[in-house]
Amino acid sequence: MTNLAQLFFDAASLGGLYAMAALGIALIFGVMNLVNFAHGEYIAFCVFALIVPSTDAVAVMFLGRAPALVLIPVVLALGGLIAVASEYAVFRHLRRADPVAMMIASFALGFVIRNALLAAYGGRPKAISLWPGLNTPVNIAGASVPLLQLIVIVTTLLVVTGLALLLKKTRIGLEMRAAAENFTMARLLGVRANRVITGAFALSGALAAAVALIMATQTGVADVKMGGQIMLVAFIATVLGGLGSLPGAVAAGFLVGIVSVVLQAWLPLDARPFRDAFLYTLVIICLLLRPQGLFVPASAKPRV
Amino acid sequence: MASPIALGRREINQLRRRPVKRLALASAFAALAWPAMAEDITIGFAIAKSGWMEAYDTPAATAAKIRIDEINADGGLLGRQIKWVEADTKTDRQQSARAGLQVIDEGADMMIVSCDYDFGAPAALSAEAEGMVSFFLCAEDVKAGIQGVGPHAFSGSVLAAVQGATMAEWSHAKRGAKTGYVLLDTTIEYNKGICSGFDWMFPQIDGTQIVGRDTFKNDDASIASQITRIKALPQEPDVIMLCSYIPGAASAVRQIRAAGINSLILNGSAVDGSYWLDATPDLSGFVVPVQGSIYGDDPRVEVEAFNQSYEKATGARPASSYAYPGYVLLDLWAKAVERAGTLDGAAVTAELEKMQDEPTAFGPRSFTADLHHQNVAEMQIVEITNGKPAVADSWTISQPVPLDVLLK
Repeated sequence: MTNLAQLFFDAASLGGLYAMAALGIALIFGVMNLVNFAHGEYIAFCVFALIVPSTDAVAVMFLGRAPALVLIPVVLALGGLIAVASEYAVFRHLRRADPVAMMIASFALGFVIRNALLAAYGGRPKAISLWPGLNTPVNIAGASVPLLQLIVIVTTLLVVTGLALLLKKTRIGLEMRAAAENFTMARLLGVRANRVITGAFALSGALAAAVALIMATQTGVADVKMGGQIMLVAFIATVLGGLGSLPGAVAAGFLVGIVSVVLQAWLPLDARPFRDAFLYTLVIICLLLRPQGLFVPASAKPRV
Repeated sequence: MASPIALGRREINQLRRRPVKRLALASAFAALAWPAMAEDITIGFAIAKSGWMEAYDTPAATAAKIRIDEINADGGLLGRQIKWVEADTKTDRQQSARAGLQVIDEGADMMIVSCDYDFGAPAALSAEAEGMVSFFLCAEDVKAGIQGVGPHAFSGSVLAAVQGATMAEWSHAKRGAKTGYVLLDTTIEYNKGICSGFDWMFPQIDGTQIVGRDTFKNDDASIASQITRIKALPQEPDVIMLCSYIPGAASAVRQIRAAGINSLILNGSAVDGSYWLDATPDLSGFVVPVQGSIYGDDPRVEVEAFNQSYEKATGARPASSYAYPGYVLLDLWAKAVERAGTLDGAAVTAELEKMQDEPTAFGPRSFTADLHHQNVAEMQIVEITNGKPAVADSWTISQPVPLDVLLK
């Protein structure tokens, strides 16, 4: 029982993190058919924003010094800002371009951000002491759970509910859903494309910032490569969930996190280094059985 | 039928001619030079000057240049001054091969390549093709030598397995460790080297036992399930052998300590340096074996003297002990050249292979015809207590790590 409770918390917190990252990618894909591979670099950018730019080995806290009440909104805004800025500078000019061209552009953008970070901060990973107290374990249902894991789980639920409300109850949400379903038709009906797309980028960037804060607190390090792995997982989760489906991305993000933790816990030692190979084999099997994704939106079905 | 990428006869001839051309050019220059003025010796640095590897290559390369300046100030090598040329590998394997060729074309007599085997090997292979001696700045994988690159490749550092074995023997002898837990980050070969050294040494000691093991990846967002497994043990292990590097290692330590696990955490040299300690405030019971201490408390005066020359050259003390192998390798190579009386790759290699416990500022070094690495070495044991690193001890393993363990 204890073990199961522990497994649940370990799995739900990792799944929550992946779900938030996947949601950030799915949001943008929904409105403009763009898989934004620079998303991982947004995460790294937000983590590095916590420290003073310098190539010295020892990191000096910058934004990270601010109290949480200031820090969280500022970092979320910063994430939104870099995403909106990249839309304005890059993707806006490619709106009529082929999705593949946009994807390549997002790779290029990610490369530019990563190298800008390398130039400003140097290649050595930096230590960040952000809210170390949050890693203190608390006992729940016989499991020892770091406070941060609970916060991640709760935050994910809040973000997902908040986003669902935003999409269902507000005008911009309605426009986003309309745009996701049929962008041309939505425009013909008076939905302002720029507003919807900017909104989606801002939300996506803020989600990247949330992931960044969680990762910085959990790992205590800033590294230019830190967005790469989570971006890959998030992308796989969006495909698995059905490209364009927001609930699908969240569900699949959770699923990938949970399966990853369960594999780590249950695989025999010799097979454990190949955990990710098992994980991605399962992904392939899922996609073979349901190529359209596990949770497919109605809009994905051909209408004629 | 010739495939479109096969070399034409003209191209093959071009390749054949190249070294000859260089020789001809060199002799032409020699003939032009004033007879009394000896030609400079050229060292080629094919290292990362950009990209993430730069942070690791630059300190060691700086250390090598400090030794070059010292030798030049003492009258040079074989009566000639040493100069250097550099080419950037940009932390890229393809660029590494190109950088190697570039420094050869610029007349390198010896080549120094990137710290890491993967990024240094392409350049080192081009040196090998010319029969030129190459040194990895700080590679700790046995492949960065005869076994991977070829008979003229060496490393200035101490093998990863020696670090793991040092931790095993020292923690038992000095801290009475009886139960060990192995936590391996499977991302790079270096980590496996550390753990294989520990796995070889620890069970050999009477009364010890490895009570569990697990793996993770350096960029795992969380190692919660690995920690759950440690906590599920009936008794907390005396030591946890953590085979990883920064950032993954810092993140793992933060999560292990946060979970309330107080075992002594052992590591390889890769986590040396205090720059990452903010990741786990007030860390204690964390031990790293190093070739020398950057903290000003090394028992050997030469080490601190080097730290000060490094500070004079760069404005800051070394950030980790990975600057030292750069100094050591140049020191050893210069001695071998002096003894051989020539820069010829084969002759210098033969002299290097004769070195048995050759004294250096960072302890004795040996090379043999089978191994161009240190399979035993005196290491300083740095322990972090309340977030402050300090030399706690010095340790040399009782027997060298055998080749089959190194090749595992």
